Amino acid sequence: MLDMEKEPGYGKMEDRVYEVGYILLPTFASEEVSSLSVNLKDIIVSFGGEFISDEMPKMIPLAYNMVKVISNVNHKFNTGYFGWIKFFMDPEKVPELKKKLDLDPNIVRFLILKTVKENTLASRRFVGRDSAYRRPSKKSENEEAVPINKEEIDKEIDAMVAV
Amino acid sequence: MKQDYFSANNIKYIDYKDIEILKKFLNSSGKIMNRKRTGVTSKNQRALASAVKHARFLGLLPFVVK
Repeated sequence: MLDMEKEPGYGKMEDRVYEVGYILLPTFASEEVSSLSVNLKDIIVSFGGEFISDEMPKMIPLAYNMVKVISNVNHKFNTGYFGWIKFFMDPEKVPELKKKLDLDPNIVRFLILKTVKENTLASRRFVGRDSAYRRPSKKSENEEAVPINKEEIDKEIDAMVAV
Repeated sequence: MKQDYFSANNIKYIDYKDIEILKKFLNSSGKIMNRKRTGVTSKNQRALASAVKHARFLGLLPFVVK
C-alpha cells in the first residue's frame, strides 16, 4: 500500500498482480524441479517482482502433444511439470520478463496473466454441490432402515409372494 | 442449469487451473457449451471462455477430444 502512494502513476497495487503458469520439461528428475522453480522465482525478483504465492511443479499428463525445438530438433512431449507463481510486478517490466522466459531452455510453454491477489482455486474451498447434499440423504435412509422389525419384513415379503 | 453456477458457488474469479470446474462446461468433443446450455451470465461466460482457452494453451484441457 505504501508503494501506491510512492508511485501514483502505476495505479492500484491490485492492477499489478500477475501470474505465470508454466510447463517444465519432463526430462528432469523430480528433485531437480524444485530448484528450477526457485530459479524462476529469482528471475521474477530480478525484474523487481514481489512474490505472493506459488505451487510447486507437478508432473501432469498433457491433453495433447507439445513440440519444443531443442538445438534445432523438434521434441514432442505428452507429459510435463506444471507449476505457477503469483507476483506483483511493474507493468512495464512484464514484457521484459516474457522475453527472458521465451529464451529459457527448461520451459516447454508458459503463460503470463493478470490475476487477483486472493486464492482463485475454487475447488479447494468447497466440495462439489452435488456431493454436498447427496451424502446426508443416504445416511438418513440407513437410519430409518435400522429400527425396522425383521418379522414385519418377513410378513410383508410373504404377503407379496402370495399375491 | 438455470442459475449461474459461479454466482451460486460464490466464485468471483474463474481460474484456468480449475479444470474440474471448467470441464463441466465442455461437451463430449471438448467444445465450450453455449450460454443456453450453461445458464451462466454473459460476463461469466466470457470469463469462462478465456479460462478454457488459457487451460487449453497450457495443455490442461484438450482442444479436441477425438
